[in-house]
Amino acid sequence: MDTAAEHIIEVSNLVTHYGETPVLSDVSFAVARGEVFVIIGGSGCGKTTLLKHMTGLLEPTSGSVKHCGTDIAHMDEDELAKVQRTLGIAFQSGGLFNSMSVGENVALPLREYGNADEDLIQAIVRLKLSLVGLGAAGDLMPGELSGGMRKRAGLARAIALDPPVIYFDEPSAGLDPIMAAGLDDLIVNLNRLLGITFIIVTHELDSIRTIAHRILMLDQGRAVFLGTLDEAERSTVPRVKQFFDRRADEYMAQRGAKAG
Amino acid sequence: MTTKRIECPPVLDQETGRGLLDEAKRQLLAEGEELLIDFAKTQHMDARGGAWLVAMADHARAKHAAFRWEGQAGKVADFVSLIEPGLRAELQNRRAPEGFLERAGGTGIKVFAEAREMLGLVVDAVYWTIIGPIEGRGFRWGLWADELYEMGVRAVRINFLMNFLLGLTIAMMSAAQLRTFGLGIYVANLVMIGFAREMAAVMTAVVVSARTGAAIAAELATMTVQEEIDALRGMGLNVTQFLVAPKLLALLIAMPCLTAIGMLSGIAGGMVWGTIALEIRADAWLNQTLGAATIDDISQGMFKSLAFAVVIVLIGCHNGLRVTGGSRGVGLMTTRAVVMDIFAIIVIDMLFAVLFYYVLE
Repeated sequence: MDTAAEHIIEVSNLVTHYGETPVLSDVSFAVARGEVFVIIGGSGCGKTTLLKHMTGLLEPTSGSVKHCGTDIAHMDEDELAKVQRTLGIAFQSGGLFNSMSVGENVALPLREYGNADEDLIQAIVRLKLSLVGLGAAGDLMPGELSGGMRKRAGLARAIALDPPVIYFDEPSAGLDPIMAAGLDDLIVNLNRLLGITFIIVTHELDSIRTIAHRILMLDQGRAVFLGTLDEAERSTVPRVKQFFDRRADEYMAQRGAKAG
Repeated sequence: MTTKRIECPPVLDQETGRGLLDEAKRQLLAEGEELLIDFAKTQHMDARGGAWLVAMADHARAKHAAFRWEGQAGKVADFVSLIEPGLRAELQNRRAPEGFLERAGGTGIKVFAEAREMLGLVVDAVYWTIIGPIEGRGFRWGLWADELYEMGVRAVRINFLMNFLLGLTIAMMSAAQLRTFGLGIYVANLVMIGFAREMAAVMTAVVVSARTGAAIAAELATMTVQEEIDALRGMGLNVTQFLVAPKLLALLIAMPCLTAIGMLSGIAGGMVWGTIALEIRADAWLNQTLGAATIDDISQGMFKSLAFAVVIVLIGCHNGLRVTGGSRGVGLMTTRAVVMDIFAIIVIDMLFAVLFYYVLE
């Protein structure tokens, strides 16, 4: 597992700033092909930012993000676009284009790069939408969907081209438990049956316990833990322990004092 | 260390809390001293009372004095420990007011950064509108057609009305002057030349910037806020190619057409006043109008309209794409786009005036 070829993504020494405020400091890890890699951490610790750097949406201050060996962190736009076509990204709020119907949204990447005729595109759209439980919603506009439905439609669009890697920002946040469990099952199945690598940002404990192979924990922009689910459950790192025990602390007070 | 003790009343609420803070202030705390709140008698406190407690802690901190409490029991103890972070937390350091040089420098850096962003957008837009399609990298004709309909066809009515009314107004104002000399017919010349060179282009640009410029900024800003732009880029699609280039080419075609319509409707407005109020025969007015301007006058207005089209689209896109901060940002950026549009239109109009009247003459 540890050979470089098995690592589909390698992030090394990533440092990023938002304006002058540091967001991530010296984050390094690697994701193996075919695993479900979960990034956890409290609100505002830089999870979503990390995801945006891994997908080339933001350029880091320093450090590198390698996809199959090529560094995308400081890549030329056209080259980057080529790499991005091989990724699926499902956004927190879906990121659907409001001017197109749900079906058109899913069809867009297929029309752009799918190399498929119209009949096949329609068939794929129907398949992907029914995979996420939205089989009948193809003709609706994104504005007519609930938040959870939009999120699932976003996932359908992300898997439209059957990418080898899918990034998913907060899949189960804001979903009812039944739907969240369904989405977890879907992730597990896609990973198992199609070998898709998932990189998921979440803080839903139930979901993590169901899907995660390995876990990276961020705290205030630093990686404080990297290991398997079992290791995480048994970890002695205070923040990790707290996270998995779902325990509050005097942390609020500490943060307050630090802010001064 | 001197300890200044304040006894908390049996009930700590909005009213008694205020009294407690006043008392704390009367103690005239000095640096290194300690303010001690004694809860021994307190049976009950509520959230407003807690807020006054926080205010007292802040007061003590401002005086560089320590803040402590004792004697709390039962529910009051629980409540105090609940709000303890608030009592311990320092106020967020407010940023010290910046000096003049600092502000000037900051503004300079911001303006420079924004100009660079804008320049990048201009280069990208030129590439994806002209060079990219020639190189065979594709142009979004479908989106272009939608935009052309939205920006051009749907603006015809309002543009007609605005220019018509402006033509009517100008005819009214100038007729009042020229009529006294019996030169009423020359109002036709004035309206024709005015609209050919200036009025139609500027009025149309104002209408379009209010309609289309604002719409572009709001659309792109909303797309940015709702992660649609990220989604587009994440698919490896180019934002400029997808969103900016079709709009630019659409307005480059729609704008001269709208300006031509504006010119005709302005002249029609003038003619209505001329025939009704000045009682000049319509065919005489028309002849006078046609003889008034040359093709040079008309092409001036057309050139300008092309420049306005470029500016309106690029300013709209630029402001839309650099939005931050949610729905409020969308509103701010839309306003900013329209203000910048109008300003740019006037400046460009002035530059063209210098060019046509002084440089090329």
